Amino acid sequence: MRRTLALLAIVFGVPMLEGALAPFLPAAFRPDLPLLVVLALALAWRNTATGLVLVAMCGFVVDLFSGALLGQHALLSVLAFAAARALSQHVSMIGTLPQIVFAAGLTAVHAIGVVGLTTFFTPGADLALLRPGVVLPRVAVNALIAPTVNALGAALVAWASGEETGRRPLRIATRSWVP
Amino acid sequence: MTEIRSRVLLAGLTALLAGFALVNMVVDRRALAQGGRELSWWSGLALDIAVPIQKFVAIPFEIARGSWSDYIALQGVRRENGDLRTKLAESEDENLQLREALVASGRLDRIAEMREEFDVPMLRADLVGLDASTWFRSVLIDRGRNHGVHSGMPLISELGVVGLVTATSRNAAKGMLLLDRQSAVSAVVQRSRDRGVVRGTGDGLVFEFVGRDADVAPGDVLITSGLGGVFPKGLRIGVVGTVEEVSAKLQREATVDPVVDFGRLEQVFVMLRRSPTMDLLYATDGGDQPDPAPAAKSGS
Repeated sequence: MRRTLALLAIVFGVPMLEGALAPFLPAAFRPDLPLLVVLALALAWRNTATGLVLVAMCGFVVDLFSGALLGQHALLSVLAFAAARALSQHVSMIGTLPQIVFAAGLTAVHAIGVVGLTTFFTPGADLALLRPGVVLPRVAVNALIAPTVNALGAALVAWASGEETGRRPLRIATRSWVP
Repeated sequence: MTEIRSRVLLAGLTALLAGFALVNMVVDRRALAQGGRELSWWSGLALDIAVPIQKFVAIPFEIARGSWSDYIALQGVRRENGDLRTKLAESEDENLQLREALVASGRLDRIAEMREEFDVPMLRADLVGLDASTWFRSVLIDRGRNHGVHSGMPLISELGVVGLVTATSRNAAKGMLLLDRQSAVSAVVQRSRDRGVVRGTGDGLVFEFVGRDADVAPGDVLITSGLGGVFPKGLRIGVVGTVEEVSAKLQREATVDPVVDFGRLEQVFVMLRRSPTMDLLYATDGGDQPDPAPAAKSGS
């Protein structure tokens, strides 16, 4: 039950929250919550396969709730999750500074991805959105919010997995040792 | 060995999901290019389920905004009220003079014709949410195909043009705002009748027009030209802000302040009749033909 609630909160809740925030904050200064949640899940979600499916679904819901082509954010979310997951296995993401730096980099690459795909698929669109004045505020806001979202994501994952660990018997592999 | 197998499986899953997303993008792009964009059953169902929940999610934010606008931000309202009354009196005076001028020039008949042109059944729709991505400018409305809403229908407010319906499900629809970078509307300067295109920049609007001799000045009102067949002629778009100086370039630009305050938009009207051009463009085998009758009966 907890796991289902957590999944629904991530898949539907985050894009809805982003949409609800939209009237209050200018786009440039609005944290990209779906992207930050992808990063948080990449760091906290245990099973990589279900994490990939989860962020893909979340991306599709963002596409559904936005003017993007269906699949655009889903594709970028999957790639962002895979990249963050791979990097987190080689570089320590514990601590605020690494998370800030990684969120900043991920936001910049994500911006290039969104604008690039839009330009590629939409006749007449151009890359003018990739001006520093447009991208840098987004990078700064996401970088500042990322540690908080990561902490909330970790708490949500821990809460959701609590039920499972409570029910599932703990198995410890034992091996006989002969001197 | 197990780890290698697991890595290969994960790489395969990533490729599968990315491929599925990419195929969806191509299909969606093709659907948009062909005009009609009725969402597939699963995405339409997701949207129909999500729209009422989105309304619920937005309630605390609406309360917060209402408190701000109804109490805290009302401190200067008395002075603003006085200013508005003065402006209203000036406008009424100006209106009277213009009517006299119109009668004199014999253009009242034309205005009556335009009014008939605008006599289109309209459906009131509530805005459920704004774009869930920071890179696009779209809205979700709580009316869909069951209410007669179809892709290609204009969205307007009492002030002017809001955007265009781009995708529909049974009980919801998605509209692209004028501000979106993919939006372009053929416009004309109401005073000088110079033509151009109003494009969205993401955060605002620009008016692109051709000609060194074009007569475009700050304060000019831009209205839809009717060319392109999407919006009927004469809907207000915005007011010209700053105009680019004449240079060697053939094309000039002017910033435009939209007449619609997109940040405070709560309701829109869907014009339930598409122009013949749009009907041709949006004609599909699946019957994406608008049928205004049921919506008109719904009392809006």
